[in-house]
Amino acid sequence: MTSESAMSDIAAQGAGPGPLREPGKARLRSLLETVATNRPILLIVLILALMVVMTILRPDTYPRPANAAVVLLDTAQTAILACGMMVLMISGMFDLSIGGILAFSGIIAGMASKDLGLPAVVAFAAGCVWGGLLGVVNGVLVTRFKINALIATLATLSIYRGLLQLLSGSGVSNIGGGFTVFGQTKILGIYSPFWFSAVVVVVFMVLVGRTRFFRQAYYIGGNSRAAKLSGINVDRTVFVFFVIMGVLAGLAGALLASRLNTAVVLAGQGVELKVITAVVLGGASLSGGTGTILGAFLGVLFMAVLQNAMIIAGVSPFWQLVVVGLVLLMSVGFDQAARGRSRS
Amino acid sequence: MPEAGAPLAQPMRLLVRNVVKVFPGVRAVDDVSLELRRGEVHALIGENGAGKSTLMHMVAGVYVPDEGVIELDGASTAGLGEQRTADAGIAMVYQERSLVGALSIAENVFAGRQPVGRFGLIRASEMRRQTARLLSELDLSLDPDTAVADLSPGQQQMVEIAKGLSHDLKVLILDEPTASLTINESRHLFRVIRRLAAQGVSIIYVSHRMAEIFEISDRVTVMKDGRVTGVRDTQATSHDELISLMVGRELVFEADPRRAAPEAAVALELRDVAAAPVSSASFSLRFGEILCLAGLLGAGRTEICQAIFGLRPIQRGSMVVMGRELRPRSPAEAMESGISMLPEDRKESGLFLDFDITDNIVAANLDAYSRSGFLSRPAMREVSGRYTQTLRVATPSIDRIVGTLSGGNQQKVLLAKWLVREPRILIVDEPTRGVDVGSKADIYRILRDLAAKGMAILVVSSDLPEVLALAHRIVVMAEGAVVGEIDAAGATEIAILELASPKAKRSDNADQEAA
Repeated sequence: MTSESAMSDIAAQGAGPGPLREPGKARLRSLLETVATNRPILLIVLILALMVVMTILRPDTYPRPANAAVVLLDTAQTAILACGMMVLMISGMFDLSIGGILAFSGIIAGMASKDLGLPAVVAFAAGCVWGGLLGVVNGVLVTRFKINALIATLATLSIYRGLLQLLSGSGVSNIGGGFTVFGQTKILGIYSPFWFSAVVVVVFMVLVGRTRFFRQAYYIGGNSRAAKLSGINVDRTVFVFFVIMGVLAGLAGALLASRLNTAVVLAGQGVELKVITAVVLGGASLSGGTGTILGAFLGVLFMAVLQNAMIIAGVSPFWQLVVVGLVLLMSVGFDQAARGRSRS
Repeated sequence: MPEAGAPLAQPMRLLVRNVVKVFPGVRAVDDVSLELRRGEVHALIGENGAGKSTLMHMVAGVYVPDEGVIELDGASTAGLGEQRTADAGIAMVYQERSLVGALSIAENVFAGRQPVGRFGLIRASEMRRQTARLLSELDLSLDPDTAVADLSPGQQQMVEIAKGLSHDLKVLILDEPTASLTINESRHLFRVIRRLAAQGVSIIYVSHRMAEIFEISDRVTVMKDGRVTGVRDTQATSHDELISLMVGRELVFEADPRRAAPEAAVALELRDVAAAPVSSASFSLRFGEILCLAGLLGAGRTEICQAIFGLRPIQRGSMVVMGRELRPRSPAEAMESGISMLPEDRKESGLFLDFDITDNIVAANLDAYSRSGFLSRPAMREVSGRYTQTLRVATPSIDRIVGTLSGGNQQKVLLAKWLVREPRILIVDEPTRGVDVGSKADIYRILRDLAAKGMAILVVSSDLPEVLALAHRIVVMAEGAVVGEIDAAGATEIAILELASPKAKRSDNADQEAA
C-alpha cells in the first residue's frame, strides 16, 4: 500500500473511535509503516545507514573506491543466482542444488577449454548450457514426477556433487587458453563478474516486472490452483524457471572458474543458503507470491555490505554468522509485525 | 429491540449485553445484546460484514470484547480464551473446518486433551470408546479410527459437533453449517440439532439460507452494520420482513420475466459424455440461455463442468462447441474456444486473495494486455477500473487486496476476471455461495443481462430458489448422470428434488416431505 492510500484510509475513517491523532504523528507513522513493509525501501535505508556508520567509525579504511569494488565483486555470484532463485521463490518453489550445478558447470567449462581445446567462448557457453541441462533434470523431477522441490533438489545437489567428483577428481587447474577473459577483465576498476551480474539483474528486473511470461510466477505462487484454472500452464512455466535457474548457476560457475583460472570441485558450497537468505531478505516468502528482483539484488547487496563492514570493523567470523542469522530473523519478524498490525 | 420477547420464566443460558468490538477503522460489533434461552435454536442472520462472525468469535472466546459482558449460566466468560471457553461448554463449528485430515476421528475429537493414564501416556482404547459413544449419539456409524480426510464434508462437520459434545456442551454455534452438505446430510444435521435442543443445549445458527431458518429456528436475531436491527419469533415473522431488516429495503428475487427458452443456435452440446465420476451426460446449451444444472452434492455437476473446461478427461461421448468437436486437455484450450468458467470455491481456486483487484481481473487474460510479451500496466488498470464499475464492486480503489473484500465483492471480481475475456460460453459453479443478499441481486441481474445479450450461460447451483429464479431450463443430474430436464416455467423445488434424489434413497426424501 502506498503512503497516499494509507493516508486516505485514515481520512476515510473520519469520525472513527479513539482520540484524534495529530496529523504530523500520523504522517510519520504511515511513513514508518511504508518503510517497514516495503522491503526494497527498508533495505536501501539499512544499506545507507550502515555505510554512514562505517564512514564515521573507520574514515581511513572504509569509504574508498577499492573497498567499494571489493563489495560489488563480492555480490556478483550471489546476485546472478538470486535472480533465478527469486523467480522460483515467487512461484512457490526453490532450488537447493545450485551449488552443485555451479561447481559442475565450472568443471565442464574448464574441461571444455583445457582438455578439449575448445575456444574460450564455446567453453564458457558450454558451462551455461550444462547448468541448463541440470536445471532440466530438476524441472522434470518437480513438474513431471511431482516430487517436492525441497526433496528433489536436495537429492540432485548430492547427485551433482558426487558425479562431478567422479568426473574430474580434484578439478581443473590452470585452464588458460584465454578462458580467464570472462572473469579477469577489469572495467571501470571493477572485475567483469560484477558487470555480468549487473546485466543479469537489469534484464531480470525488466523480465519479471514487465513480461507476461514471468508475471505468471506471481499467480502460480499466489494460488497455483487458481492459476491453472486461469489458463496458465503451471507445470511448463515452473519447468522453464528451473531451467533458467540452472543456466544462471551454470553462468556463475563458469565465471568463477574463469576468474580463478581454476574449476574447483568444492566451488559454491553452501551458496544455496546464502542465496535463499538474500532472497528472503529481499521480500520473498517460502509460500510464494511475493518478492521482486530489485528486492533480491538489494538483499544480496545488503549482505555484502554488512559482511564487508564487519570484516573492516574486525568482527570475528563467528559473530558474523550470528549477525547474519539475526538480521534475517529480524527482517522477517519486523515484516510480520507490520503486516499483522495493518491487517487486524 | 433486543430486550423484546424475553420472558424471565426460563433462566438464560447465554447473555450478551451491550458488547462492542472495534477494529481499526470499523466498529465491527456496536452495542449488541443477545439472549439465548435454554434449549433454544436461535438463528443469527445478516449480510456479509454485518458483524455476525465477530460476535460469534467473541462468544467463543476467540476475541475479547472491548466493552460489554458475556455470561454463560450467570458466570462471565471474559478473558477465558478459546480453549477454556470450550471447556466451559461453548463450542463453535467453523465454516472452515478446524480438523486435522491425517488424524483419526478420535484424535480430532480429543485433540490436545486425550485421556491419559499413568506416565502421561494416551489411553487409546478409552479415547476410542468415548468417541464411539459420541458418534452414536450423533447417529453416525463410523469407526473412530477412520482418518478425517476420508470423511465427507457432512461427516467432518459431525466430528466437529462431537468435539463440542465431548465437553459438557451448553452452547453450540454453527456457522453456515449446510454450505457444503448434501440434502440428506442437512436432514441429519437438523435431526441432531433438534435432539440437542431437546436436551437443553442452546444453538446459535448462523446462515444465509432463509428456508433453513424458518425450518429450524425458534427465534431470529438480525444484524446489520454491526448492530442488531431486530429480534423476532420465527413463527411470527416472514421472509420479506427478515430481508428488509437485513438490507433495510425490500428485496425479492423474482423469476426472470423474459423467461421463454430462446430458439437461438446451440453453443455447447454434450452427447453421452462420460468423465469419471460422470457416467453419462447429454444436454445442449443455446446462446442467450441460462441453463441450470441442478442436483444433490456429488451428482457430478461440478465434475461435468470441469470436463467441459479441460480439467477432467472426457472418456467417452462427444462435446461440440459452436459446431466444432472439442476435447480440451487444459483450461487454456477451453478458453481459446470461448469458454470461461468460475469455479465453486472462489477462495481456493478462483481468486488470488493476496493480490489486488487489478491483478485478479487480468489473471486469465494476460495476453490481451501485453505486446510482444511485455505487459502494459495502464491497459490492465483501465480494464479493471471499467469492470469494477460496471459490476458495481464496492471498493475504494482497484488497488485493494481482494482478500479484504466481502464475499459478494470477491465474487464480482471473480466474475469480472472471466468476463474480460468476453466469452461466448460462461460456466458459473455456485454463483452466489457465501454472498450477501445485495450482491446476490446484482449477480442475478448481471447474468440475465449477459444472457439477454446472447451469451450462453451454464449455472450449477445447490440453492433451489436460485435455480428457479435464474434458469430458462433446468437439467437435473443424479449419481453422475443426467436424469431429466425441466422447463423453468412450470418448475417447482419439489419437482427438481424428486428427479434429483437417487432412487435408493427415495424413502429418506419422502419423510422429508412429510415433515
